[in-house]
Amino acid sequence: MTVKTLDSTGVTMSGASPKPKRATIVAVLLAAALLAWPFVANERFVFHIAINVCLAAIAAASLHLIIRTGHVSLCHAAFIGIGAYTSAYVVMQLGLPFIAGLALGTFAAALLALLIGPVILRLTGKYFVLITFLFGEIVRMVFVDWQAVTGGANGITDIPAPAPIFAEPRNFYWLTLLAAALCIGFCGRLLQSELGRTIDSIREDEQLAECSGVPVIRIKVMIFVIACGLAGFVGSLQAHYTHYISPQAYSPIESLNYVIMNVIGGMNTLVGPLIGALFLVLTPEFLRGYVQVQQILFGLILIIVMAFLPGGIADLRSALRTLLGPKRRDAER
Amino acid sequence: MLTNTTILGQIVVNGLNLSAVYILVALGFTLLFGIMRVVNFAHGEFAMLGGFAFYYLYAVLHVPWLLAVVLGAVAVAGPSLILEWLVFRWFYHKMFQSMIGLLGLSLVMTYTSLLVWDVFERNVPSAFDSILRFQGVIIPMDRLVTIGVSLAALGAFYFLMVHTKIGLAMRAAAQDVEIALTQGIDARKIYRWSFFVAVFLAALAGALYGQIYAVSPFMGERPLFVAFIVVILGGMGSIPGAALGGIILGFTESLLGTLYGGSVASYASFGIVILLLIFRPWGLLGTRE
Repeated sequence: MTVKTLDSTGVTMSGASPKPKRATIVAVLLAAALLAWPFVANERFVFHIAINVCLAAIAAASLHLIIRTGHVSLCHAAFIGIGAYTSAYVVMQLGLPFIAGLALGTFAAALLALLIGPVILRLTGKYFVLITFLFGEIVRMVFVDWQAVTGGANGITDIPAPAPIFAEPRNFYWLTLLAAALCIGFCGRLLQSELGRTIDSIREDEQLAECSGVPVIRIKVMIFVIACGLAGFVGSLQAHYTHYISPQAYSPIESLNYVIMNVIGGMNTLVGPLIGALFLVLTPEFLRGYVQVQQILFGLILIIVMAFLPGGIADLRSALRTLLGPKRRDAER
Repeated sequence: MLTNTTILGQIVVNGLNLSAVYILVALGFTLLFGIMRVVNFAHGEFAMLGGFAFYYLYAVLHVPWLLAVVLGAVAVAGPSLILEWLVFRWFYHKMFQSMIGLLGLSLVMTYTSLLVWDVFERNVPSAFDSILRFQGVIIPMDRLVTIGVSLAALGAFYFLMVHTKIGLAMRAAAQDVEIALTQGIDARKIYRWSFFVAVFLAALAGALYGQIYAVSPFMGERPLFVAFIVVILGGMGSIPGAALGGIILGFTESLLGTLYGGSVASYASFGIVILLLIFRPWGLLGTRE
């Protein structure tokens, strides 16, 4: 029997052309579906949901970067807010175009992350969660108190769309789809690279990584800055979509939503937060009018996932296998 | 202003009052962390249930005040053992899972309460209307009673911890659970006892909170917040730490609140906590991890 060996690109040593991998086919089909469905279902509400899913996905994926380093941040929404307020201010008060707002929003969030990162990233586990919670609360209070710039508790209204063509939800959907593809693709690429493996090593054993020569705090700060910059990016996009922002949307409780997306979807892979974002945006829509039931359901899912499914929904298959595995072996005897 | 003995006396009384209630809430929280290593995000909700139990016993069924407070706390702590069996035991010694999982529990408890009772706040009628005047200091009787009840509960807790076998077992488990097990201590029994005591204290604090503020499904947020701050101040898992933290927070709030107003007090407590987290995250009396 001849043994066919495959090198890393899946090319057989015999030199035959590679069959397209199943994953690639699925990816192409998915991309085609995501691009084409707006032509079929031309409903404003569906576009609204889709845009929210895309925006939430970018936010959850950027938070995922921080979680991969082993830190759970409860101030992510605060950085989204910084991007939003900066972008709104730049476009409305300074008269600059949307691209400037987007860039400056991203930059402002990243800059703040750079300032506080080295201080708070030295804390571990529960202390990091607490200090990010407090920081998020402080940022929210600043949004409320700094009335001259942020409009206080009333927020900022009439934020213009990025360009007149994007006032149409369908076109804005394609814009957010493009943004999501770029950002999430960037995150994916980052996690698969050497840097990604370094991040995983930091999460698994910080001291061992340090001993192996990894500049732990520098990498953590770098990832934190990138992730918060992406959060600012989302904030800016979101502001110019909803045309209205207020401090309430950027509280630590909102940050918790992004953490929940990661937890329920799965914290170990990038697919997790995407599943989580889809789940967390769609579920309230199905339970409209039953807010209490919705929250109770969320709570129950959180308990069950945390107790029995630490890898999240993304890990469902292997979790089921572990549950059912040994029994199957017994049955075979 | 501080030289004025009346104001000083007022600050001290308020400080004692706040400290006592804060210590009650924080003790349960730190007990659960110290022994079972769970961060109980649902702690405020147990306080809320204590508030509702007290409300129904005292304001609706007209049970005498002291009996209502204590019975209410027992009425919450007892059935909560079911929750311990259903939810909590999956999270022992798993800190991160416990944080998110118990956060889920707090959502379930808050919104189930919202379905059962509506969102409107219920005011508990004042039990003690009289006022004590001592050297010019005005002490409302209900504050005094609150301090008294809290001190009694704390005294009982101290007695339990230091002078009973089960308290000794709990302290041993808090220090090192594995060695405690090898000494023959029944972990499940200790966990259940600790849980009962923790929830009892929280529910007691909730009843006292409900007396001062109002009773509603969302009233648990403040006790949880307080518990967190006190426990960070004192050190997570440290019982003397919770007492110290409670005193510091209570008196700081009383002092700053009286002199400068409520919001300054909030900013100040935030600031202290952030500074502590940056420079000494294990608190004043906690163990460095």
